[in-house]
Amino acid sequence: MDAVSVMVSDGIAFSRTVVGLVTRPYETYRRIVTHGKAGELVFIGVLLSVYFSLASLVKVAAFRPFLLTQHFLLLAMGVVSGTFISTCCIVIAGRMLKMSVSFERIFLAWSYTLIPTVLWFFATSLLFVLLPPPRTTSVAGMAFSLLFLVFSATLLWWKVTLSYLTLRFGLKADFGKGLIVALVSAPVLSAWSYFMYKAGIFKVPFL
Amino acid sequence: MADLTYQKFVRRWEEVTDIPPQTLGPLTTLYKTVTRRIKTMPWPWYVGISIVAVLILFGLLGQGIARLVTILQAGF
Repeated sequence: MDAVSVMVSDGIAFSRTVVGLVTRPYETYRRIVTHGKAGELVFIGVLLSVYFSLASLVKVAAFRPFLLTQHFLLLAMGVVSGTFISTCCIVIAGRMLKMSVSFERIFLAWSYTLIPTVLWFFATSLLFVLLPPPRTTSVAGMAFSLLFLVFSATLLWWKVTLSYLTLRFGLKADFGKGLIVALVSAPVLSAWSYFMYKAGIFKVPFL
Repeated sequence: MADLTYQKFVRRWEEVTDIPPQTLGPLTTLYKTVTRRIKTMPWPWYVGISIVAVLILFGLLGQGIARLVTILQAGF
């Protein structure tokens, strides 16, 4: 197959996977781990790049190419390092527990958990422009706050489910071992989140 | 045709039994109940649990949720 055919094929696989993550996450994750292709990562990358561009425009709030590029690169480095560190934590913890682990499979599975994250960040960036904070305690302000929290919590449960499925299928881990892997990874990811916060890249961790 | 169907079934069976069934002692039933809900179209459950969680948070923080949302909105 030529490059275009491969890209189209990966694009279709990516679209099917995203629809599957919404409607049938369990089956879809089984498929990602067994049949997923590295080419699908390109489309996750494109999705993230669209977000980085929007966030850079919102944060810099001026058409200054140098500052926009700088912000874009900082966000990209933050996300790439976060994904890489998360994958390494899972792989190392899995190997410590003597489980069969493939870095590529875990990386692909974990990358798909970035979809709820990027959706939340995307929506938050848009809302920052449309309804800039601070929120007030008026009826309208409280109603918006409640809706925003329900939206955030819904995406959070989705993220938790996909993260759990990454461990369940990626490591073939039972609930107990999955919990141990999560507990081993938590301090490292907390340190990364603190660093990102201090560096002013992400106040809410992009994991 | 029957062979093809059988082969498909075997492939599917091997895929499904690739990871052992989850048991959690006395919590197994609860685990199975929760996971059954999130295997297919989990959104009504996600939204329902989120609404309950946010209402509890509202009960605890009251108007403080406006401050929480202000912090979250600036968190990207």
